[in-house]
This record gives sequence, structure tokens and C-alpha cells, in this order.
Amino acid sequence: MILTVTLNPTLDKFYWVDRLPLSLDQPEEEILIRSEKSLMSAGGKGINVSTFLSCHGIETAALGFLAGHTGQIILQDLLSHGVTANFVWIPGENRTNVTVIAHGREYHPLLIHEEGPPVSEEAMGIFLRKYERMVRRAEYVVFGGALPPGCPSDCYRTLVQLAQRAGSRAVVHAGGEPLVQAIPEGPFLVKPDVREELALWGMPVSSADEIVRAGKKAVEQGVQACLISHRVTGDILVTRDGVWELEARVPLATFKNLVGADDALVGGLLAALVRGEGLVEAARHGMAAAVASAGVEEKLCLDVNVVRSELDRVVVRRREGG
Amino acid sequence: MKARDVMRRDLTSVELDTPVAHVIYLLHQSGLTALPVVDEDGRVVGIVSERDLIRAVLPGYVEMLQSAAFLPSLDQLSRRLHEIKEKPIREFMVREVVVARPDDSDLHLADLMIRKGLKQVPVVDGANRLVGVVRRIDLLHRLRK
Repeated sequence: MILTVTLNPTLDKFYWVDRLPLSLDQPEEEILIRSEKSLMSAGGKGINVSTFLSCHGIETAALGFLAGHTGQIILQDLLSHGVTANFVWIPGENRTNVTVIAHGREYHPLLIHEEGPPVSEEAMGIFLRKYERMVRRAEYVVFGGALPPGCPSDCYRTLVQLAQRAGSRAVVHAGGEPLVQAIPEGPFLVKPDVREELALWGMPVSSADEIVRAGKKAVEQGVQACLISHRVTGDILVTRDGVWELEARVPLATFKNLVGADDALVGGLLAALVRGEGLVEAARHGMAAAVASAGVEEKLCLDVNVVRSELDRVVVRRREGG
Repeated sequence: MKARDVMRRDLTSVELDTPVAHVIYLLHQSGLTALPVVDEDGRVVGIVSERDLIRAVLPGYVEMLQSAAFLPSLDQLSRRLHEIKEKPIREFMVREVVVARPDDSDLHLADLMIRKGLKQVPVVDGANRLVGVVRRIDLLHRLRK
């Protein structure tokens, strides 16, 4: 079973519009944007990974905090996808993240992200007890996304420690300080989220060389594998055994919605690992899942056959080692 | 159809030492009418329903007469609720829990619910750990399809 932890879940809302105004700054009159289509789904990195896994036949359970009416919608969506849900209910309302996608600008959407409800010490204590019960049953545990207000920045570090103690392999799919603090605990895999800042430990991660340097530093600190995005259709995998470049040979114009593609990548990789693939081949499966997800309007591609059909378009090249 | 096909994989539950106030909060938030009580290994050791909590605050004669018409107001209940709100749920839960297994048939589930007058049945694995819940509405919903 694969456990996912989403401490700050979200209700993702997507709107498709014909076009966005050139500037939203200092408008001279009210801006009305009509949407021709909208979609809504439970979100947050861990939740996305669970949804992907469940629809691809892998047993998975999602943990975290739910609040209010938004929490009810998130829960119903997860249950309808066959995900086992074990959440702590807290006061307030889960956040809603809005993505507005204009035709022809699919990879530059307008994003509005809320902060999410604060988590009290008492709620965190209840969560930790649930987590310790569930992590014993898990082969892998994925920690995903931003921390909610009130949650200490060493939270992922603590959770990774508990996972290692329970014999579960930890995957940290997050960014910033929470990720940096978790790395010395030696998680199995890290997938840094560098959307807000193309840097890790203050080191830039824009070029392939910079990514390899940062990946090697993560491995030196105890991580078994580090997977970092390189441009829209590429990823670099750094392990103790070498460095690999993965590239999807897909025209960017075919992409319809990039939100969630990273989470499909982690889901696809883990699904392949559970089925017995090696890490490099599993990363190729992950990339295929990401490309398939970017190619559909929905946040995630949940069709196993479509993901499989993308595999041939992902090439892997050994860059160093071996 | 088996229990695994119809159950909600919702593991919302409480622990033996969870205070009554938190159980009420959780029942209200989750929209469930009962919550399984689990031990440190996730095994189901009890269940607490709205009815159990009402019974805990009602004077005994109300239950006996099956009517609340003799109560002058709900102040007495409110006071009693205030008295027990920090008490652990282990004091009010039902220990003999009727559970189902993932491989149990829909007919068996329906029979359990009708015979025992249950609104929901926890589903447990071989180690008695909670893996889901089947509510009456889940069965009805599936039968409608």
C-alpha cells in the first residue's frame, strides 16, 4: 500500500477562457471573464498522487487535514476514486486553488492559491497518531506540497523519521525549507518543487549542470534518488549509481493543462516501482504519466492505456556513472 | 457484490481516550451517524453512535418511557453534556461491534443491518483493522444501478 500525506489539501478549480486581459493590474473598469468550461477536483500533491495510483490499480490511502464544506467535497472526490481516506477534521475551510487557462497559453495559466486553515498542536497530535498507525502498513509514503499555517517547518523531517523507523520508504515531493530539512533523514526519493524558486539550498537549478550539482548534493546527504524537472518536457534523475536524463519527445502545443503533471510523474514512478520495475525504468513510466496528464484537460490522466501509449515517446539517456 | 465493492474507504474513527466533545465535533463535521473506535494498531474495539451519546445524557426514565415529553427543557441534558464532555469515549462506546469482512456478500450486509437495526457497519480485515464502512445508503445506491 502507498500512503500519501497532504497536510494542506485543496479543492482545485479550473476555468477555461477564450483569453485573459493583458493586464489585471490597475484595471479601469470591472473585469468580467466568462468561462466556457470548468472542472473541479480534490487536490494537493499527495492527494493527486493517491488519485492517480488508485485509478491505476494500486492500493493507496490519503492522510491529512480536512475542514468545512470544501473538505467534504475533497473527501467525496477521493472516495469516488477508490482512495482510502483517513483525515483529521479541523475547524475552518480547506483552501480552493483556482487555475484560469486561456487558449494558446496553456502553460502560462493564471493561478490563485489560498493559504489554507491553520493546524493546531492538538490536531497535529491526532494526525501523528493516525500516521503512525497507517505508516506501518505502507511500502511507500509520499509527503506532498506546502505546509499549512501553524505546521512547523521540520514537519516532513519528523514524518520521514517515523516512516524510516516503520520500515516504509519515504518520498518527499515538496519544496523550500520543509524539503531541505527532510533531506538529511535520507528519504528514498525527493522530487523538489521548484516552481516558485528555481533553487535548492540557494543553489540555482535552471541548467542541466546546476540540476546535477544539486541532485548530487541531495544524494551526498543521504537521499537515494533525486528527480528534478528540467524544462517542461525533461527530468534529471540523480542516484548513487549515476545520472540519467529523461526527455519526452512531445510537441508543447499538445499540452492542455500542466497542473498535476508533476504529481502524475510521482504516481507513475511509484506504480511502476510497486510492479517491480527498476528506478530508472520507473522514472520513465513516471514521465509517461506526466506527459499523458499534461495532454488532457483534466488535472490527471487516469486512463492506463493512454499513459502506456506515451511510454514510447519518453527516452532515457545515461549522462554519468555506470 | 461484495462489501469491498460497496464500502466507503473512509477510515474516520476515534481512539479510546478521545474526549466526548471531540466525538460530537467529528460526528457533526463528517456527517456520519456513528464512529468506529480503534486501538493503537487500528483494530476496531468499539463503536459510538449519536444514539449512544444521547443515551449518555438522557435521564434513565426517558429511555424507559421512550418519550422526552416529561422533560421540562433541554437544560438538564446540556448540563450533563457539559459534565461528560472531557470524559474518554471508552466509557460510552458499545464494545460488541457488529463488523463485516471485505468478502462478505451484499445480502449478508443487508441482513445484518435489518436484523440488528444498524445504519452502518464497519468493515475490517483479517487483523480486525478498519478498512471501510458500509452505510445503508451505500447499499441502496448500489442496488439502484
